[in-house]
Amino acid sequence: MAGKIKKLIDSLIEQRSQGNASIATTTRTKLLLKGIDVKKYTEQSDDDPAVINTIIQVANEMGLNLKV
Amino acid sequence: MSVQVAHSQHPDPYAAADELRTTLGELKPVLVLFFASSSYGPDGISAAMKNAFPDSTVIGCSTAGEIISGSMLNNSVVAMAMDTDTIQNVHADTISLKSPDFADDTLSRLAEAAGSTPISLDPTRYVGLILFDGLSGAEESIMERIGDLTNIQVIGGSAGDDLAFSATYVYLNGKAYTNTAVFALIEPKKKFDIIKTQSFCSLGKKLTPTKVDAASRKVIEFNGKPAAVAYAEAIGVPYSDAASHFMKNPVGLMADDEPFVRSPQRVEGDAIYFYCQVREGVDLDLLSSTDIIADTQKMLEEKNKETPIEALINFNCILRTLQLKQEGKDAAYGKIFSNIPTIGFSTYGEEYIGHINQTATMLAFLK
Repeated sequence: MAGKIKKLIDSLIEQRSQGNASIATTTRTKLLLKGIDVKKYTEQSDDDPAVINTIIQVANEMGLNLKV
Repeated sequence: MSVQVAHSQHPDPYAAADELRTTLGELKPVLVLFFASSSYGPDGISAAMKNAFPDSTVIGCSTAGEIISGSMLNNSVVAMAMDTDTIQNVHADTISLKSPDFADDTLSRLAEAAGSTPISLDPTRYVGLILFDGLSGAEESIMERIGDLTNIQVIGGSAGDDLAFSATYVYLNGKAYTNTAVFALIEPKKKFDIIKTQSFCSLGKKLTPTKVDAASRKVIEFNGKPAAVAYAEAIGVPYSDAASHFMKNPVGLMADDEPFVRSPQRVEGDAIYFYCQVREGVDLDLLSSTDIIADTQKMLEEKNKETPIEALINFNCILRTLQLKQEGKDAAYGKIFSNIPTIGFSTYGEEYIGHINQTATMLAFLK
């Protein structure tokens, strides 16, 4: 299966920024500094469970709830 | 009146604070920010500054060199005083660096004092200013936690001790602290801007950390090879010369073509220790230094054209200061800020979104 990582990242950024472009950009940088390089993941990226877990953990730390 | 800056090189902390008070005249500041050489005892300078400004929130830290409009200084204390024309409100408190969880309590308290919660604070209305104990090694975890909690921009620096690497201090309202950060939630009266400038360009070569010890800021392998070997190959120099290129060829995490610089500190075995954390699997670009003076001048001119700057707080990396001194350009750097009320200091690390190196992060209050 593929594409789940990008969907999760997009959902995290959308929830956090609520459509605010400036907050969305900052959130992408926050993810990069936490070790998640948003640019690396596309709809074709494999569903790596370790990366998925990391994103869910980061979302939890940000107080967000991602649906897997 | 609004904003004024002053400096003193009097060696006695109380005499220095009195000189600052006299220079700042009739201004009734709500916030006094000061940066003091480690030649001043921490308890003495913090108490003296609060004594001189008893009705103000007084925040500061020790330095590895100070900056005032027009000059880079040593063995001095520099201060910026802001009254209600510039600062609507300020709430400040300490964060213990024993655990990132301590950031939760402090931010909740400060946001509550502003009638809000950390996540609800309006990023266009509030800015966070943070000063770290520069030898704590806790900047990354605390900045990440703060970034989890709030959307406001947070800027600051890590305290220095004039390259002794022995003890650094942060100051709040007359007290001195170690293993602590001071966080100020500032509501400027007018608009503000964050400036982040580093004088590097990407060489287009990637170094991917494939084995790291993040807690000790150590990279064991780049691209599956011993870190120092891979770095030397990427630069194109013999292994033995690798460390001599660290200052001019650090690496950077690229966010929208904007490097978040990670500076190598030393080689130990074949591993490279950095001045901030490097994450496994996240590509780093090899960087090459450009002209700090020209880059900073250009950036300030552009910002000033957009909206004139009323005052500037400059957190300038000690590695930039050392490079400027090596190149005999420290006086020229100070002069860049001659026409803008500015204070700053040479830091052991800069904060903006995260912890970064070889960068100047600046908080600009706009007219």
